This record gives sequence, structure tokens and C-alpha cells, in this order.
Amino acid sequence: MTVPEVLTEVLKDEVFFDESRGGVTISGGEPLFQAGFVEALLAACHARRIRTALDTCGFADPGVMRRVSEHVDLFLYDLKLMDSEKHQRYTGVKNDVILQNLKMLAERGSHIVVRVPVIPGVNDDRENFGALSEYLSSLGLKDIDLLPYHRLGSDKYLRLHMLCGMEEIDPPTTEQMETIASRLRRDGFHVRIGG
Amino acid sequence: MNARVTRLRQATLDTKPWLSIERAALLTEFCRQDKTVPVPLRRARAFLYLMEHKEVYIGAEELIVGERGSAPKATPTFPELCCHSVEDFKTLNSREKVGYSVDDNALRVQEKEVIPYWHDRSMRDLIFAEMTPEWKNAYEAGVFTEFMEQRAPGHTVLGDIIYRKGLLDVKADIEAALARLDFFNDSEASVKKDELRAMAISADAVMRFAERHAEKAEALARTETNPVRQAELRQIAEVCHHVPAHAPRNFWEALQAYWFTHLGVVTELNTWDSFCPGRFDQHLDPFYQKDVEGGALTREQAKELLECLWVKFNNQPAPPKVGVTAAESGTYTDFANINNGGLKRDGSDGVNDVTYLILDVIDEMHLLQPSSNLQLSRKNPDAFLKRGLEIVREGWGQPSIFNADMVVEELLRQGKLIEEARCGGISGCVETGAFGREAYILTGYFNLPKVLEITLNNGVDPRTGNKIGKETGDARAFVSYEQLFAAFREQLHYFVDIKVRGNNVIERLYADYMPAPFLSSLVDNCIEKGKDYNNGGPKYNTTYIMGVGPATCTDGLSAIKFHVFENKTITMDALLESLARNFEGDEKLRLRLWNKTPKFGNDEDYADTILQDVFNAFMDEVDKRKNTKGGCYRVNYLSTTCHVYFGSMTGATPDGRRAGDSLSDGISPAQGADRKGPTAVVKSAAKMDHARTGGTLLNQKFTPKLMEGEDGIDKVAYLVRSYFRMDGHHIQFNVVTAATLHAAQAEPEKYRDLIVRVAGYSDYFCDLTPALQNEIIARTEQEAFA
Repeated sequence: MTVPEVLTEVLKDEVFFDESRGGVTISGGEPLFQAGFVEALLAACHARRIRTALDTCGFADPGVMRRVSEHVDLFLYDLKLMDSEKHQRYTGVKNDVILQNLKMLAERGSHIVVRVPVIPGVNDDRENFGALSEYLSSLGLKDIDLLPYHRLGSDKYLRLHMLCGMEEIDPPTTEQMETIASRLRRDGFHVRIGG
Repeated sequence: MNARVTRLRQATLDTKPWLSIERAALLTEFCRQDKTVPVPLRRARAFLYLMEHKEVYIGAEELIVGERGSAPKATPTFPELCCHSVEDFKTLNSREKVGYSVDDNALRVQEKEVIPYWHDRSMRDLIFAEMTPEWKNAYEAGVFTEFMEQRAPGHTVLGDIIYRKGLLDVKADIEAALARLDFFNDSEASVKKDELRAMAISADAVMRFAERHAEKAEALARTETNPVRQAELRQIAEVCHHVPAHAPRNFWEALQAYWFTHLGVVTELNTWDSFCPGRFDQHLDPFYQKDVEGGALTREQAKELLECLWVKFNNQPAPPKVGVTAAESGTYTDFANINNGGLKRDGSDGVNDVTYLILDVIDEMHLLQPSSNLQLSRKNPDAFLKRGLEIVREGWGQPSIFNADMVVEELLRQGKLIEEARCGGISGCVETGAFGREAYILTGYFNLPKVLEITLNNGVDPRTGNKIGKETGDARAFVSYEQLFAAFREQLHYFVDIKVRGNNVIERLYADYMPAPFLSSLVDNCIEKGKDYNNGGPKYNTTYIMGVGPATCTDGLSAIKFHVFENKTITMDALLESLARNFEGDEKLRLRLWNKTPKFGNDEDYADTILQDVFNAFMDEVDKRKNTKGGCYRVNYLSTTCHVYFGSMTGATPDGRRAGDSLSDGISPAQGADRKGPTAVVKSAAKMDHARTGGTLLNQKFTPKLMEGEDGIDKVAYLVRSYFRMDGHHIQFNVVTAATLHAAQAEPEKYRDLIVRVAGYSDYFCDLTPALQNEIIARTEQEAFA
């Protein structure tokens, strides 16, 4: 698909954006794997005064991130693990670029909601959220969405004859989620569960 | 709700509808001996006789009084319109769904007194005797239905007259009109004199009826031992002495004045869709403000009075129908539809304190009747819409939501004045009208997919093999889609002609033989003109034909255009053969047609453009044709439950729909055809030019999850506002899970109170036929916003 084709599809919902003050969210996969296209699409949306949001894991070239941020009204920014080694173990890459990009966006004054998938036994420990709280506070970020790990994707893995490697993990309980949320709220964050 | 209302509400829910022979017996008794010749006078005297002799009922704890039958849920019959056979009565008594108890006395009186007099004299008999063979063929094939064969013209909504004037004032107006009659130059002067005298007698009848309630309340008060109730009965007596003879002085009197007026109208004749107070919050607000400021009334007391009135509405099931009409809409509900919000006469925001009060009443009472709607203008606050959506979320289908600004635009297009348009609204399901001054008569549903079917069969109805249409050419020989569409238009013209010709005859029959002088006295300008409601008396006289199945028709045309003419993946010959076999042995083809046809409801221009073509073709045929009352024809799109009946009369269609399955309802996409979520549905629906209709109906079914929390309400509010910004006329929501509906089908006894939105009204799910239940389940359940 071309940018104009996507924009045509987007504009079908213009009336709803106008009424709800909503707009377009670009998500993935990781949209910045196709940074050129995404940048062009975001710019095209802005040219038509359509608000934009980018759902990203933050793992992108800082130059690309800076350019793209020109046309993003809201970042939905994933932050999975503060420990870089653990981050590498579970995602395949270290988190240094991700943290740097977040810092750069925060300094540029971008509107950011940090989104943390809560995966029992992987990142739901005190140390991780303690470090996360400290880091986000230092950047002046306030909004956190906690996303409870779910298994809605497991059927898809099965059908693709793939293993996701997390078959053993149970979704967190409501109490577990609330414990983490209230800890972050004490630190002054505006926290939503789900979202 | 307080203890009194709780008990009254429970009583109306627990009482099964039963057939009251009282009205038929009194009417027959009167007509047998009466020697009056002029029809309006005879009708008025019969009405006076009814109101003087029918039982007066005042129930324990009631504050608002008066029943149409002899007691709550007692339903009278109207043998002058449609005389039930003994067999009809027995069927009603034994019918599992929507049954009416009929006792032995009723059966006996019907057989010995009523039938011998009214047989061959009812309007139904007169109408069928006058219809042509072409009309009967089309009617029997399910091309259209006829509203007036069992009920009188109605869809009337009251304006503000009764809050300004008592019936004594109305009588003075009638006297003045009589005095103005010009017996030198006006050849109709003596006919007008009869009509006006009939109106005066009818006013007496309703005043007498009220007076009898005052007398009864006084008598009850004399023997009442509880001093609190005794005081209430004295208050009731005082109210009934005053209204409707005089204009109401306070909130209580305003409600009682309306209720006596309502009972007068629906006892005089069995008008379609009952009768309705229209913009009730507008009418009541001045009384409410005055009483509350003066300390005579609290909000709680006002709510109690309204809730007592709500029980009264619910006590009046629709009079039972016979034959095919029962199949068209088998329901107890009688469509009194209360309008809330909208605009004031001067064009400003019409939401007031009584609006929110009424919404609280609707929420607490949770009753089938009266039905309720929001008239949502862009000027109304979101708080109003969201309060309404909170009630919608509870999942019993009320209130439905209308675009008040669009209602104004529709009325302006029809030539109403701007103030008249702003004081208008909707009645019945979705029908637009200028309240208090327009007779807008719905005459029958019109089966658009059936016309396509007959076109594809060159004038033959394949269900029976009878040639009932015009020979518009062998579809196998058509070389283009345009040729097919031209043939469809020609066939449409042929059947609309038949329908309109029949309507015009029926209009005259009602004008000549079935005047409604009481109703006429309340509608502008019947008194000035000296003409009856059914004879062009009102300021505006509009006749409607309702298009049914536009989406099924569109999808059928789209399938042929796409598969036969453009992609040539199937020949017309093979398609027609497969349709004739109801796809038997052709499941693969059926699935291809079902899944691979561009269909209406997905915000894709391919199908949506065809919908516009179908819409315009029907509009061109019907809109602006002249009726016999100085007005003209208009189109609207609602199907009530008729899309199920029409579906049963329509064979397999090219969109992959099997023979007998339900057609699409209202202007909603065909069941299961919309696959891109509610935003795409409203985008498609908005491509119809609603401004040129007198109402459209769009159904959406949501799971409760979608409306969860304040966030869920916000999202639906945005959806509604967006649809209305695109000039949609109406939208309504069924919020219930398919699992719940399946469970209710399996164990109906556990789900007796489950109310769902059916068409322009709600009904008890368990009272619906299995076919209709399945249809409601099949309507696309929107899991999420796309």
C-alpha cells in the first residue's frame, strides 16, 4: 500500500476523529522498522490536521526517532525491563537505545505514555519497577499504562507452528496488578491498568 | 420508586392482557337502535354513548385514573373497523405468544350480537370489496401490506392545545366555526356543520367521562376509612372535575388532562400507534416550575405522578389483530413514543428539568409502554445524551435516539414552517411529523427485494408461479447491469401504482365512513376547515409508504453486478436456476455470493452507491405523488417486524440469502453483512439522503462490554454524534449478549423480563416468534469499534 492509499482509508474515519478528538494510532509489530513509510504517513496525517499516536518499543535509530517525533502527538512507549542484561535475554537486544530515545523525547517535550507489559516472573519484581519509577521520575514523565500479560496470541503461535517460549507463564492476578499500580501511584504517577 | 409505584408497576406486569367485549357490545347496542343519518353525527353519538356507559375504573392507590377497557390490561375491540370471527377469538385465547384471554361471555356476545350486526359492514370488509385483482395479487404475494384494513389512520401526536385550552374552550371554537359557515356560497357548508356538531358532541363525551371519574372518586372517598387515601380520592375528584373541561392549572392536572384526552382518542377509534403526548417535557415544564417554585410540588412527587401515568400507558396493550397483520407485528406494544429534549419553538436547546425527570422515570419503570426517545440536537448538552445512554446500556432497548436537527430539516423540506418543525418530532417507530397539526398516515410496508425477485422472473412470483407483475423482459437476455436496473425501476413503478391506487380508494372510504371527530377537534386546522382528521382537516396531510429491505435489495443487485456482469464468474442463467432451487446442491456458490459480494454497511462505495440508486428509484416513484386529502406521498424506511414476514414470502436472493430468511431490517445492513464495525455501518447508512425521508431506522447491537464504564458511554456518544453530524435520522442499540439470548430461547421461563429492541420499539424477547428471536440473534454483534 502507498501512503495516499492508507490516508484514504484513514480519512474515512475523519468525522469520528472530529467528534471524539481522536486520531490515528500507528502500531505494529514495530512501526519504526518501516520508518520511512511511517514518517511519510504521519506527515500526511498532520497535513490534514489528524492527530497521531505512535505505538513503539523505542528500539530505533535516534536520528529516525527525532525526525518521526516531529509528526507524533502522542507516544505509546513500551518499557519492558530496566535491567539491560535481562532485556537482552528476553528481547534479544539491550535497552540502552530505548532508554536514550525515551530521554531524548522527554527532553523535547513529547507527550508520552509509558506502557509496561506485566509478565509474572520476568519483570514484575520490585527492582524493575523501582528502577523504572526512578528513571521516569528523573525524566518528568507522569503517565504509565500497566498491561497485564495475556495469552490471546498463543493460539496464533500454535497455528503458525511456532513456540512463543512463554507457555508456562500465567497472566498476573488482579491483586498483583493493583499492588504494582499502587506502588507507582505512591511515587506520583498517573497509572491505568489496561489501556 | 416508592412503595405505591412498586405495587402498581408489579400489578401491570403481572396482569395478562384480556379481551374486553364491553366496547363492542355497547357500540352494537347503540348502532342497532340509532337512527342518525349523517355519518359524523352517528359516530359522535356512538362515542358519547360509549363514554357515558363504559365502566369507570379507579384502582387502589392510583393517582392518575382512567382505563380504555373496563380494567387494566382489558383490551377493547373495534368491530366497525375489523370484526373478529369466533375462530379469531379462540386463537387469541389459545395463542402461546402474545395471547389475550377471552372469556365465554365475550365469545357469546361476539357470536350472538356483534358479528350479526357488523359482518360485511366493517371497514375491513368494505376495503377488501373495493380492491382490484392486481392489488389483491400483490398483497397476497407479500409485495406490500395494508395498514388500514384493521386499524384506523393514526400516527397522531398531540401538540400543546390541551395545556392551553379546556374542552369547553374547544367547544367555543367549534361554535364560532359553526357561526361562520356560509350557507350561501359554500356547497359543503352543511357537511361541515355535521362534522363540527360531531366534534362538539365528542368533546361532551370526554368531559362526561372525566366527570364520571370525579363522581366515582367522591363515592369512594365517602366510604374510604384510611384518611390519607380519602384525601387522595378527594384530590382525584377535584382534578377530574376540572380537566379536561378546563385548561390544567398544575402538574397533576396536566397529566390527567393528557390521559383523558389519550383515552378519548384511542376509544373513539383504534388508531395506528395509539396516541402520544409528543414533546411531553416541553409541555410539562411550565407546570412543573410553577408548582415547585410555589412549594406545591417536590421533584419526588412529580416523579410519582409521572410513574403513575407510565403504569396507565402500560395497562393498554395494542388491540389484537387478525390474519397476516398479526404476523407482521405480533406484539402487545402500542407505540406511544415520548419525545425528550430537542429544540424549543424559538430554536434554542429544549432540554429542561422535566427532561431529566422523565429519563429517571423511564430508567426506574423499565416498562414496554410508553416507549421513549431522545430528540438529540447539536444544541443539546452531552449530559443529556449520556444520561440516555446509561439507560440504553441496561439493555432493554430504550430510549432510541433521534437527530432533532434532521427532523427539523425533513419537515422543512416538506413545507412546514420553521416553528412547526421545531415543535415536531417522531412517533410510532421513527416517523417524523409536525405535532398537533399533521395527519401523517402510514399505509403499508413495501417489499423492495420482492420487486427485484419478480423483475428477475419477468413478472412472475416464483413462490407461487403466478404472474403478478409486469413483463419487464427475460433477465437471461439482459446484457448489462443498467438494463437490469431499468427493468427493476419499471417493475417498481408498476407496484407503487397499484399500492397508491388502493390507498386512494381506502382514504376516501375512511373520509366518508369513519370520521374521528374527537381527534379532529384537537388537531389544527380541522375546526377552522370544518373537516375531519380523516378527510384532509389537518393543516398537513401526508401519506407514507415504508420501504423494507433496502440492504437486501442492494446486496442482491450488487451480487449480480459484481459476479454476473463485471467478473462474469457466473451466468445469469445459472444464478437464476440456483435461486429457484434455493441453492440446493450449490452451497459453494451460495457462500461465494454471501462472502464475496460487496455489501452495504462497510463504507465501501461499490455497494453503497447501489443503495443510493435503490433509494432514489423508490423516492422518484413515491415522493410528491398526490393523495386524496390535498397532501402528498412521502417515503420512510422502517420495517417494524415486517422484514421477517416479507422474508418468509421472498425466495432466495442473489446475495446468498436463503428463501424464507428474514430481510434486512430498517436501513440496517443485512444480518451479518457488515464486517467492519459500527463506524463503517453509520458511514454507509449516512450515504442515504435522510433529509428526503420521513424517517429511517438503524439498528445496532452491542455487547455490554462495549459500553462499560464512562469510557464506553463516551465512545457510543461519539458514534451517535458522528452519525448525526452526517445527517443520520435515528439510531438505536440493543445491548445484550448473544449468549444471553440463546439462554433465553432455551429457558424462556427464566428470562421473562428480558426486553430487547426489535424495530422501532422494544418487546419481551420471550414473546417473540422463534423466527424473530433468531433474527435478533443474527444481527451482527459488534464486538469492538473498528
